[in-house]
Amino acid sequence: MLLEVKNLDAGYGYLQILRSVSLNIDKGEYVCIIGPNGAGKSTTMKSIIGLIAPMGGTVVFNGEDITGMSASQITTKGISFVSEEMNLFVNMSVQENLYMGAYTIKDKKIQKNRLDFVFSLFPRLAERKAQLAGTMSGGERKMLAIGRGMMSDPKLLLVDEPSFGLAPQLVANVFESLDVLKSQGVTILLVEQNVTKTLAVTDRGYILENGKIGLKGKSRDLADNPHVRKVFLGV
Amino acid sequence: MSNNYGSKFLSWIKSAAGLSIVVTIVVAVVASIASGPYLLVNTVVTGGMLALVATGLTLMLGVLNIPMFAHGEFFMIGSLAAFYVFTPISNYTNENPDSIIVVFGPLIAMAASTIIGAISGIIAEKLVFGPLRRRSTDDWVMNSFLLTVGLSVLLINLHQLVFGADFKGIVGYWSGMPISIYDVFISRDRVMAFMIAAVIVVLFWFFMTYTRTGMAIRAVSQDITGAQIVGIDIEKIVLLTISLACALSAVAGGSLLFMYPSYPTVGLEPLYMAWFVVILSGLGNVLGAVAGAFIVALLKVITVEYIGAGWDFVIPSALIMFILIFKPSGIFGSDVRGALDK
Ligand SMILES: Nc1ncnc2c1ncn2[C@@H]1O[C@H](COP(=O)(O)OP(=O)(O)OP(=O)(O)O)[C@@H](O)[C@H]1O
Ligand SMILES: [Mg+2]
Repeated sequence: MLLEVKNLDAGYGYLQILRSVSLNIDKGEYVCIIGPNGAGKSTTMKSIIGLIAPMGGTVVFNGEDITGMSASQITTKGISFVSEEMNLFVNMSVQENLYMGAYTIKDKKIQKNRLDFVFSLFPRLAERKAQLAGTMSGGERKMLAIGRGMMSDPKLLLVDEPSFGLAPQLVANVFESLDVLKSQGVTILLVEQNVTKTLAVTDRGYILENGKIGLKGKSRDLADNPHVRKVFLGV
Repeated sequence: MSNNYGSKFLSWIKSAAGLSIVVTIVVAVVASIASGPYLLVNTVVTGGMLALVATGLTLMLGVLNIPMFAHGEFFMIGSLAAFYVFTPISNYTNENPDSIIVVFGPLIAMAASTIIGAISGIIAEKLVFGPLRRRSTDDWVMNSFLLTVGLSVLLINLHQLVFGADFKGIVGYWSGMPISIYDVFISRDRVMAFMIAAVIVVLFWFFMTYTRTGMAIRAVSQDITGAQIVGIDIEKIVLLTISLACALSAVAGGSLLFMYPSYPTVGLEPLYMAWFVVILSGLGNVLGAVAGAFIVALLKVITVEYIGAGWDFVIPSALIMFILIFKPSGIFGSDVRGALDK
């Protein structure tokens, strides 16, 4: 098992959001978390990557207990997080942002290879590599955020709502690029609002409601589940 | 192609940054022709050193969100260190005027102030800023501001208690004939002070622009969460930034010892001037702070020359406030909104 989250409690200050969340991901899997707004999906990801310290429970990655480690330590272990807010370096160029994504890689040649790979994934970024990230369009920023997340050659990629605010064509692009990553053996944990599409492409899913895991199972089965159909698909 | 560059240059001239740089240069040249080239020399020496103090201040504000009001005290620490290191050196060189130390002694003193400045920065982080950062999450800017004011008062009084309130100065770093450039005589100390400032500013700019660590510092200042998730160790960058910022201030204090003898409140003037620079140039970049430093230095020199010595804080601050009404982000403020503007 690549990632094992067990009975995770987390929140902000005294406010507890997650209540005993457990989930696990095998190597090479493509897993999603879906749930309504405010359910705690982003909070789950932030606790896995170490941006917020869990109040209880454990997070084990690649056999190592990473509970309570700092985000920079966890990133170095091989998890990459593409946040909802993207957190780009707005006053740096596209290329500089990407190189920052490879901060944990010291070898210049590997960095360059990663850069070429990301540019092949998103040719648009290559065209605009000298532009400041802060002046890119919303869609271009999303690509840059995902590209930056890929630069460290992660074993596990956490992606939070990559298609949020994108035009349909770009949504398709984002899902395509995630498919490419999956076919390259990257393990992905995806949070998405686009439930139909997400359940169609992922292997397994967890339904998070009010900070608790409600349902879990094969994505195919979740898509047929009456509760899921009623709440998320509106049918 | 050249046309393209030409129009780019023209639009730069018309921008606030371009305009103010051009105006500064013109005013400096006109004033020097009218009243003597020493005006230009003073501007350049003061501006160079001010650039060091101001870049440190920008770093503290941009990377750590600390409105640093104890920065002048690191200037003071630098001048004190240089004084105590240089005094025995100059005693030695007085007896051995042919020694190589005559040339390198002052550099040793300045290196000492840099190192001591960096070490005091680390101590300040470990004893003061670090503990506060771990406890305070809300109102960080206000709390850290108050803390720096406290630190400033503490260091000023410590200086007075331990080293006394007298002026601890030197006759000069490098003796010998002034250097003459086109019939203008400039003391060796001034030439060296400017060269040291220029070398450090260039090195520092290079460091911030091209090195992995310099980029990490900029990354932290632009988006701290982004920096964490690419694997940057924030604590390490914070420690490095504080020691760098303090070292920059201290080396300025050390190299200007021949102009400003060390005494408890010697840092206040550079502190205020550096704040003028930061307010004026905005939190853009190193180069903005450097250009701002020369503008403020010129304002000060011209005010002293034409209006009177007592006015050298009044006029620059009034003018800066005036400029800010029209360009609140500062004249070199970036067009892209950074993390600090949120
Ligand atoms: N920094 C914070 N401080 C306090 N509360 C927060 C903070 N961030 C999120 N919350 C709260 O935690 C709860 C879960 O937020 P979270 O961002 O994890 O939801 P989400 O499932 O990602 O929702 P969405 O689909 O809207 O992105 C929400 O009620 C939110 O208001
Ligand atoms: Mg969210």
